[in-house]
Formats: sequence, structure tokens, C-alpha cells
Amino acid sequence: MPKIRVGELDVHVQRMPAAGPPVDGPRPLVVLVHGMLIDSLASYYFSLGPVFAERGMDVLMYDLRGHGRTTRPATGYRLEDFVTDLDGLLDALGEGRPAHVVGNSFGGAIAYGFAATRPDRVRSVMAIEAEPPVRSWAAKMAEGLTGEEGGLVVKEVRTWLLEDPERNARPFQLAGRILDATTLAEDIPRSRVLDDGLAAIRCPVFALYGADSELSGQADHVAATLACCRTAVLPDQGHSVLVERPKETADLLLGWLEDDIHTPLEAG
Amino acid sequence: MTAEPHTAVPPVPDERTVLDTVTGMLHEVLGEYGLDDAEITMSTRFHDDLELESIDLVTLSAALRDHYGDTVNFAAFIADRGLEEIISLTVGDLVSHVLAAFSTAPATEAV
Repeated sequence: MPKIRVGELDVHVQRMPAAGPPVDGPRPLVVLVHGMLIDSLASYYFSLGPVFAERGMDVLMYDLRGHGRTTRPATGYRLEDFVTDLDGLLDALGEGRPAHVVGNSFGGAIAYGFAATRPDRVRSVMAIEAEPPVRSWAAKMAEGLTGEEGGLVVKEVRTWLLEDPERNARPFQLAGRILDATTLAEDIPRSRVLDDGLAAIRCPVFALYGADSELSGQADHVAATLACCRTAVLPDQGHSVLVERPKETADLLLGWLEDDIHTPLEAG
Repeated sequence: MTAEPHTAVPPVPDERTVLDTVTGMLHEVLGEYGLDDAEITMSTRFHDDLELESIDLVTLSAALRDHYGDTVNFAAFIADRGLEEIISLTVGDLVSHVLAAFSTAPATEAV
């Protein structure tokens, strides 16, 4: 299993090189950032990863700190830690190309944070069911992760574990283990927020939502706040856009990359 | 099935060899859960019998690619079917996929 040393972490990385004949100049690079607790790079490995590679992009996937097969330190789970990890990972890989960064859910907050912190390294942001890490985001994270009985997210994980014995419980057991073994739940709400830094995001942004998710109500506000943003909303869809609508998600993201920001891709 | 290699390497594997290879890889993956003695047959289901989660299938997929090269693209195989369908996949489905990838006839996966 490929591991890359980044600071104190051994980061589990999976790459899928671009398909197709050699081209003049570098291939576009896409980095896929997964979500919190029950997620890992597997969500992309079996969905967007192969599709993006097939269309001529070099695909980089990695497990976030504490998740999947990456080291799980006991502390250090503020958003800025995840942003620093991504920056360090690209350094460690000697990656000079500005990346198209896809982020799912919490991974989208990381993508936004990275775009604001290292605008030189980000060619575009594609945020799937995600919100920029602003004050209201931190408040929601606090509600979800802390408080009585460990907050809503924690409660949800426990309920999932109990309500359906047929369901594969292992991912949820792992989520419970992250919450038990780390300060993630306390750290995330204490992240540095970007309210005054959103203007630092100058790159093109594509924000995709599920219509039935509460986040979709933010689409217009996000579009108005960011310098260059297009939004799309999938009807009859909740928060799990990537898992439940992988083909439409791939089509929308690739269409935007090709048509709106003129990324050279292989024919689909 | 008669092997008709067009090139010297790699040799076209047979079902028994592929099953043995895949079984070895699965035991390695399951070792992380202390289950490295699980019985594995062609009808063993990844989800229902082994309780593999998707990150385990990433490990398996990467091991297949290391072993067989780019001929075997398990990630694309699953992506075509959707993550949800992993639930019904058996070891036999994977063995068929590997064999089909090595056969000269295109798109003959027995799934």
C-alpha cells in the first residue's frame, strides 16, 4: 500500500495516471478529497477516479489524517491541519502543477480552505455537497460533533450502527473509533474560519448540491460570495450525491471542466 | 480454456491460479482484522461473508494491479457497476473479471 511521509503522518495515497496517448505539455492534475468519519479515498477510487483518469487527467487520491489507511494521530484535527497536510503531500510528491481539487462534504471545506491558503496551487475547486469553512459552518460542526451525547453526527453514527443489522457496520465502527481515539470532534469546530478570506478564492468554483439536502439552500449565497462560481442542484437527491449519483456527478464535473474552464480532456 | 499467449509475458492464468492469488490477497487484507484464516471459495461474497468495506477493496484492487499490471482494472470494473453493487460481488465475479481481462475477446466478463 503506497504511503507518503508528510510531517508526522504516513499518508495513504492512490494514483491513477491519465489514459490516452502522450500529449504536449503536462496533463491536468485532479486531487480528490474525501469526507469525514465514515469516508475514505475508496469513495473516489470506485467512482470519479477511474472516470477522470479515462478522460485524460492524472488522478491523486489520499486518505485524510485519522481516516482510511493514513496515520491516526490523537490530536490536530482543525481544518487548517487538513489543509497543511494537502499542501505537504503535494510538496512530498514534488507536484508543481496547480490542481483541480474535488472535495466531498467536509473534503469540500478542505478544498475551499486550500484554495484560500494556496491560490497558486489550485486551478479550480469542485465542491460536492460542501460549504466554505465560514463561521456558520463552524457553528454547525460544533452542533454536529460536540454537546450532549456527542452531538448530532455522533448520534447519527450510533443510530446507524443499531438500526439495521444487515448493513455493513464496519465503516461506522471505524467512525466511532476515530471519535473515541482523537480530538476530531473538539478540534473541527475550533478551526480557523474564512469569513474574511473567501475573497482570496479567485479560482473557478463549481458547487454541486442535492436538492433535498439542507446545504442546497446556500447555493445562491455561495455563488454570490465567490469571485467565480457556478452551481448545480441534482433533483430528488439528499446529501449523499457522490455515492448515490456517481455518473451524473462525473458528467457534471467533467462538463464544467471542459466547457467552462477549457480543461483539455480526452474524448468521453 | 486454452491459453494462446501472443507475447511471452504475462502467461494467461487459469481459474485455479487466479483464485489462489486472490485468496492470498484477501487473507492479507483480512489479516488487518485478525481474520486471515477465513475460508474463501468462488461463491464467497465480499460484503456478506467477509464484511469487507470499500477501503479494503482499494487495497485488493491495488494488489491486483501490482500483480497483473494494467490489464486488470478492478477500479473501473466496480465504477461501471456502481459502489452499491459491490455488495453482491463474489470472489468468483472477480476471478472471472481477471480471466476475461486476459482473454483476447473483449467484454466477456461473466457477470
